[in-house]
Amino acid sequence: MGEKQSNPAGILRDTLDMLILKALKRRPLHGYAIAEFIEQTSEEVLRVEEGALYPALHRLELRGWLDSEWGISENNRRAKYYRLTAVGRKQLAEEAARWIRMATAIARVMETA
Amino acid sequence: MSEWLNSAWLRAKALFKRRQLDRDLEDELRFHLALREEKLKAAGVNLEEARYASRRRFGNSFSLKEACREMWTFAWLEDLGQDMRYTFRAMRKNPGFTAVVVVTLAVGIGASTAVFSVVDPLLFRRLPYPKDDQLVSVGYLGPVDNNEFNVTSSYFDWRQQGPFKSLTAMRPGVGCDAMIGDSPRRINCYAVTANFLQTFGISPLLGRDFNHEDDRPHAPAVGLLSYGFWQRSFGGDAKALGKTLIVDDDPVQIIGVLPKSFEMPQLGEIDVMLPARLDASLPRSANSGSFLRTFARLPEGVSIEQARGRLLPIFNASADKDVPPELRKEVRLVVRSLRDRQIHEVKLSSWMLLGSVLALLLAACANIANLMLARAVARRQELAMRAALGAGRGRLMRQTLTESMIFGLLGGVAGSGTAWALLRLCVKLAPGGMLRLEHARIDFRVLLFALAGSLGAALLFGMAPALESPQAEALASWHVTGTARTLFRKALVSAQVAISLVLLAGASLLLRSLWKLQDQPLGFQPEHVITASFTMPRHRYQNAEARASFFDEIEERLKRIPGGGFFALSDSIPPRGSMGRPYSNLRIAGHPPVASDGGMVEFRWVTPSYFRALAIPILTGRAFEESERASGESPLILSAALARRLFGNESPLGQQIDLDVSGHWSTVVGVAADIKNNGLTDPPDPEYYRLRMHNSQEMGFSGVAIFRTALDSDTLTRWVRKELSAIEPSMPVAVEPLEQRVDRFRERPRFVAALVGLFAGLGLLMAAVGLYGVLSFLVARQTREIGVRMAIGARPVDIALQIQKYAGIWTGTGVIGGLAGSFALARTIRGLLFEVSPNDPVSLLVSATVLLVTAALAAWVPSSRAARVDPVIALRNE
Repeated sequence: MGEKQSNPAGILRDTLDMLILKALKRRPLHGYAIAEFIEQTSEEVLRVEEGALYPALHRLELRGWLDSEWGISENNRRAKYYRLTAVGRKQLAEEAARWIRMATAIARVMETA
Repeated sequence: MSEWLNSAWLRAKALFKRRQLDRDLEDELRFHLALREEKLKAAGVNLEEARYASRRRFGNSFSLKEACREMWTFAWLEDLGQDMRYTFRAMRKNPGFTAVVVVTLAVGIGASTAVFSVVDPLLFRRLPYPKDDQLVSVGYLGPVDNNEFNVTSSYFDWRQQGPFKSLTAMRPGVGCDAMIGDSPRRINCYAVTANFLQTFGISPLLGRDFNHEDDRPHAPAVGLLSYGFWQRSFGGDAKALGKTLIVDDDPVQIIGVLPKSFEMPQLGEIDVMLPARLDASLPRSANSGSFLRTFARLPEGVSIEQARGRLLPIFNASADKDVPPELRKEVRLVVRSLRDRQIHEVKLSSWMLLGSVLALLLAACANIANLMLARAVARRQELAMRAALGAGRGRLMRQTLTESMIFGLLGGVAGSGTAWALLRLCVKLAPGGMLRLEHARIDFRVLLFALAGSLGAALLFGMAPALESPQAEALASWHVTGTARTLFRKALVSAQVAISLVLLAGASLLLRSLWKLQDQPLGFQPEHVITASFTMPRHRYQNAEARASFFDEIEERLKRIPGGGFFALSDSIPPRGSMGRPYSNLRIAGHPPVASDGGMVEFRWVTPSYFRALAIPILTGRAFEESERASGESPLILSAALARRLFGNESPLGQQIDLDVSGHWSTVVGVAADIKNNGLTDPPDPEYYRLRMHNSQEMGFSGVAIFRTALDSDTLTRWVRKELSAIEPSMPVAVEPLEQRVDRFRERPRFVAALVGLFAGLGLLMAAVGLYGVLSFLVARQTREIGVRMAIGARPVDIALQIQKYAGIWTGTGVIGGLAGSFALARTIRGLLFEVSPNDPVSLLVSATVLLVTAALAAWVPSSRAARVDPVIALRNE
């Protein structure tokens, strides 16, 4: 907990990682589709900048949480598809649990008068 | 942890697909851009706007690509590659600088490694015995022999009562004849006591060691073979054990083989080791005439000094019994380490060589430091620029580090090559006296040490600019003038000059000494003289008559030299010594007894034409005559020094002298000129000559045939060998021109002088290069100042002189330092010099002059460049 708290850029980066992992939970997607998924599911509240997305994707791939594969997209273009690895899946579960615990705790504090 | 491994693995894979990675990134981002465009178009935005909008949202795609790409690389590897490429480029642009640095490193590392490899087996490496620091050589030291010796009776005493853990003895080596196949061959035999190998901690490779039974006086003969002899004569067959070898007509049963690395403690060549079979039951007078060399192992924790102290009373007791009274005062006890015994003669030369080469290494390091510092200053602007462009301190340091390492590696490789070549050269040129040269090999720990030293110097001074923060001002002022902080560099140059002076002084002292050695008169004429030395096999000539007739037969055959000339026979030949007797043995008829402190007198048994063959002038009286050889008389010829000592101004002719306290009187018939009979450097001993009689009982086992002839060496050798093998086929004969023999005494001083001279020359070169470098640098830096001065009115010659003045000051400081160093080291070199004082003013003056002249020459180019500065151009460069 400690170090993550004090580094706002770090918090945001980890959160983005978690969102990406979640986006890929059901099926493999390419980068654009991941961004769209997050944007639409959050009802346009969260917009992922490409400048943040792609470094994150590559970082996750290097860490071994994602695997990548080149394929053909819906409109017959060459695209790079990412999917979760087994380790990635486990990581997602852990991060999600941690996030919910923290959110609940914060909510409890904020609800007091 | 596994995460890191995983990413490392992926990145390693990406290493080989660099371009593919770039293309993939490109494609991925373009795909995203295209989809966004389509989305905007679908939303109704027109094509152009859609494109711009999407691009805008995309931001800086270049830096995005960079960021992603960087994740996939090993950053440090890429940086290293970049640095290396940069370094090589810079090296190619400045070939002169690169060449000088690499050559300097090569010379410094190569020379010091080679010399260290040569002296290491002598000075530092362990002897091939376990716990070799406990081994000592002990014995009597007297004027009889150069090294300490012992006698059987004393050996028994010391072994019983002495403080040693183990005392062992060996007889001096003799040539013995072994039957190899059908023919007799002369080999080297040593007879040792049973505990010999044990004392040295050596076990035989095969078979067993001697035991007490083997060493008893009449035990059946057994022997150990040396590894080399076993290989050569028995083909390394293990079945050699138990076989019988005929040595000196006696059957010897082979009981073992010595290990390959075994060395005799006095470094003699050995083929067969036999038991000495010393007999304690013999009367003391017999045993006190039997000559031995003794070695011992000290007990744990006992020093050489302590052992000597404890042995001294025992030594005194046995010396009183065994040493003839007239020699008693001249002998003393010696206990010294085995290493000391082995290298005594070459110790000083070895240290001298090592010292000079280390001085050279220091000069080389100073040179490299100087060069690196010069470059560092020149690159201050470049570094400032790089810092301004965004390079961090760490990055800059890594680059200079890489550069220094590459220089170091290149220099190291060149140095290893130089060392190897230099070592081969040394081995080929070195005189025979440099022991253990076959053991000299490139020692990697030394190579590593020298490499580390040079690398350290390069690193230290190369990193200097990166260590200070790059300053923006350096960017602005392209010509930083004035205090370029060169004091350190000036000090380095002075230090180099000082080292150079010490080396030069040393070299010139050695060279002058060598010159004196070559030049000095010998007392005889070695030109056109060829000698043939031989030793007859002991076991066949035990009878004195047999020996006498052998010599007679030799004379008969050899005096008929083909082509004419003079032939003489002697038992030894100058400049070596001969047999010695105490001076106090001499008694002169009708005169008071001679002083008893006179040391030793040499004598030789010669035939009448000896003096003519060697062209030794007879000063008074006459030489021996053939007719005297069968008479009962005993003619005697004295050397001039001996005649003077015994008779002063009185005429020695006709005087009667008893030479051996034997009651037998010899008559002086002539006085011969003094000759060098104690090597070339030591003062000659007094000497007398006795005539070889035809039926003499007093002849020994060896002789030297002397030929003064116009015949060439090869023809004569063949003829001599043919004649001698007719009498004694297996007897080895060593034929050599006398000049060559004499020259061998000059081999070692020549070798040392040559090497030190080489180092001095190299050191001088380095000092010159160093001086040149610093001066050029300063002139370049001060171009503007010079321009100003010239514009104000200084003449070109003034500027040039000023530069020369700088050079003079630093050189002068260095010379003074060098002179001080030379004085300090003078005493240590004295042992190597012959008739030259270590503080010889001529040598020092010459060396200092050479240095000053070299400095002036080195300063010539920079000073003339300074004089040619055009003030207009210099001032224009703001």
